[in-house]
Parts: sequence; structure tokens; C-alpha cells
Amino acid sequence: MPNRALRQKRQPQEDFTLCPSTSSEENPVNTMVHLSSLLLKKYHGGYVVIRLALAGHKQANRPFYRIVAAYNKRARDGKYIEQLGSYDPLPNIYNEKLVSFNFDRIKYWIGCGAHPTNPVSKLLGLAGFFPLHPMTITEAERLRARTEQTVAGAEEGLEVGQEQAEV
Amino acid sequence: MAGLSSARCLFRSCSRIKHVERSRHTLMRCGVRTFCGGAQDTGNARPQFTDAAVQDILSRITGLDLQKVFRPILQELNPPTYKLMTDEQVEQAVMGATEKAKKLLQMPPVLPERKPISDVLAEDKMLEGMDTAKFVFTDITYNIPHRERFIVVREPDGTLRKASWDERDRLVQVYFPKEGRKLTAPLIFKEENMKMVFAQDRHEDVLDLCLVQFEPDSSEYIRVHAAAYEDLDKHGKYELLCSTRHFGGMAWYLVNARRVDGLMVDMLKRLLFKDAVSLVSLFHMVHPNSESAKEAASQQATGTDLLKIYAQMESQRSGYIELALQAYEQTAAEGSAA
Repeated sequence: MPNRALRQKRQPQEDFTLCPSTSSEENPVNTMVHLSSLLLKKYHGGYVVIRLALAGHKQANRPFYRIVAAYNKRARDGKYIEQLGSYDPLPNIYNEKLVSFNFDRIKYWIGCGAHPTNPVSKLLGLAGFFPLHPMTITEAERLRARTEQTVAGAEEGLEVGQEQAEV
Repeated sequence: MAGLSSARCLFRSCSRIKHVERSRHTLMRCGVRTFCGGAQDTGNARPQFTDAAVQDILSRITGLDLQKVFRPILQELNPPTYKLMTDEQVEQAVMGATEKAKKLLQMPPVLPERKPISDVLAEDKMLEGMDTAKFVFTDITYNIPHRERFIVVREPDGTLRKASWDERDRLVQVYFPKEGRKLTAPLIFKEENMKMVFAQDRHEDVLDLCLVQFEPDSSEYIRVHAAAYEDLDKHGKYELLCSTRHFGGMAWYLVNARRVDGLMVDMLKRLLFKDAVSLVSLFHMVHPNSESAKEAASQQATGTDLLKIYAQMESQRSGYIELALQAYEQTAAEGSAA
């Protein structure tokens, strides 16, 4: 009978010791002592995520996102570990939405056990780096159903209007 | 009217020339990489721009007028420095200046036009109608050369394709801006504006701007350079480009188009007989099947004989060339007699 008591519960924090990290929050013994980091909170049960952080809060109605590797518990726009790219949701004069990814570093952080959030996974799926996210396909289908409905509704409305005009 | 005023504003903003100086060297670093790539096709019997012999001839006929190379260009105002030097130090300073001038005169690469990219990576019809805008994904990893960077576009109809050359240039400039390069090409490169600038004899400025703005194998670069060389050839203003880095490119273009007469006449007018001889030898190297080349090879001609053969066989203005040759031989004879 395998002794279940001996088997440790797998913490997400353990993943960090596998890859060499210069941050001293997980491993203050092996790295240089940064005094400021000793004062930082130690996140109990926290893990690294790759997510979109809103940048440029000075302008209203002009969003711009940074694709960022940050601790899960941190504020959305707060201090991050590393910036891995950018995403501009508003199309430019060539009708393009510009997205940039630093694939080298993204691979590193995913190797360290970072979790990408849903929007980042969708963007990576659209880029071809990940397989397509199922929600992208679902949203596309829903949009198409909705547009067909509105088109059908508009046609019906036109027909009704024509009949009324005839009558 | 608006176009004229904007063009005038462009010509006035000469600070761009300052940026051109510094970015020249960065461009040469990128240019040299593609340069070496072009030199590797040994399958062609035809001499390429990058051959050592061709480069040697072109750099010789470019000339090395130090006064013109280091003429005052628009840069930051510094008060002049005066140094007290002995004659030897002056000679060494002049030698150092010649070295620098040679580096400044490094010829920009002449490459064939790049083939358009049309690779489709994936077609996902189920994504159709998801969005009205395209998504452009760029890889911003720092250590890859720009030519090998992944830039893909996801169209609204679901196809994932590689970005075209124009999109690539624009996005690389967005994420890795190069000094002096603009996102949209300056208006000076339009046909009408170029004609106006050529009328003002500012071919060199246009070519410098073109060098900074476009990649050497883009169609825009080739078009602007061709237009500049044609205009120079039509009006015979070759001395504008003499002792600049664009002279070699112009000579190569004319030799390939077989319209070397104008340049030849200009050289003889300025009594540069050695340059004229090297130009003819370059012509024979590039077109070994022409009659003058075969004659020269059969007679093993050198010096002024080459010029005579060329004048008889190939050129349309043979009269002028022969007259000039006679005059040169007379002066040479008088000089040796006296």
C-alpha cells in the first residue's frame, strides 16, 4: 500500500526551484541579498501568471495592454516581473491590431510554470503559437449567429414595411 | 499647393541629414550581412556587383576628393578647434582622414528585387466574421536578425499568413526603431517631388534619404535609385555624385544598361583618362560578349588602345572620344618631349 502521508502535496511554488530564478523571494539563500526584496511580502501559495496589464492610465478611452509576467496576487497594473509583449486593441490606419510577443521569454516563463490567462491564451492561439482557444471559435460562431439573426430581422422588417406601403 | 508647401517644408528640415550621418554606419552593419549573402552565388559566370575586381574598379573611379567628402554638412555647431602640428603630424592627419573618407565612401549594396512573401500558415474558416480588423503578431525576441523575425497576420476571415515585405518593414520600425527612418515614406519619394528636387541638383540628398528609409532590395529603393541615375544620365550631371558613395552604384547601373557614353564623355572632359580606361575594362568584364570586348581580348589592349577600341565599336559619340584621345596623346607627347 503506498503511504499517502509521505507523498507531499504539490505546491505551485515548488516549480520555481527547478528553474534558476534571480528573484530572491523564493530562494533568498542562493542569490544576492537585495534588501528591498526582504521587505517584500512573501506570497503564500502565489504563482506567476502571464496576463494583460492596462498601461497608460493617463488617457481615458484609449486602452493599451502590456503582456506581462507577474505574481498572481499583485494588482493588475502593479509591479510585474517582466514585460513579455504588448497588445493594442484599437485598430490603426491600416486596420491592424498590433500584438507583440517575446516568444523566447514566454517559453521560459511557461517552462517555469507560469499560467497564461484566458485573453493571453486566445491571443497566442490566434498567433499560432498555441492551438486555437475553444472560446475563440465559440465567440466567432455566436457572432455569426447574431449577425444572421439581425440580417434576417432586417429583411423581415423591410418586407413588413413594403407590405404596409403596398397596403 | 499644399503638396508644394509640404515639399518645401521637407527641404527645409535638413536636420534629417544629421541623422543620416549616424545611421549610415548602422545601415552598413545590416547591409553588410546581406552583402555577404549575395556574394555566395558562384554559379553565375556574369560578374556581380560584389566581386572584388568590380568593387576595386568602382572604388577607383569614384575618386577620393577629401574636400568634397568632408565638406560642411548640417550638424551640431561646435566652435572650430585649432591644432599646432609639424609636417609629419599633418601628413598623418591627412592619412587618417583618407581612411575615414574611404569608410564613408563605402558603397551601399546593389541587390536584386526581393520576391514577395505569400506563405499561408493556416486557414481556419471557423473563425470567419470574428473581427473586422486584422491581428498582426510580431516576435520581439532581441537577438534575431530582422530578416528572420516571425511576423504573421491573422485576417478577419481566419487565414494566418506571413506578413508582406511592406508590413514587415513597418512593424520592425515600430518595435525596433531605426534613426532617420519614418513609418510612412516621406513625400520626397513621389515622382513629381523627385523631379523638382532633381531640378535643384539635390540627387545626393535624395539618395541618402532613400538609403536610410528603404531596405536595399525593396522595390522602392530600386525605383528611386533608377530614377536618380536616369535623371543624371539625361542631364549629364555626373560630377554631382563624384567622390560620394553613390557613384559606384550609378556606374554599375549605367554599365548594365550599356549607356556608358555620357559618363565616358564627362570623364574625358575632366581629363580623367585612367578612370575612363577602368570604366571600359569594367564594361568588358560585365559584357564579355560585346564586340569591343572580343576585340580587346584578341588584341590584349591596354590603356588608350582600350578607349580607341571602345570608341570605334560600342559608343555612339565616338567622334568626341577620339578627339579627346588625340588631344591627350598630344599633351602627353609634349610633356615627355619637354
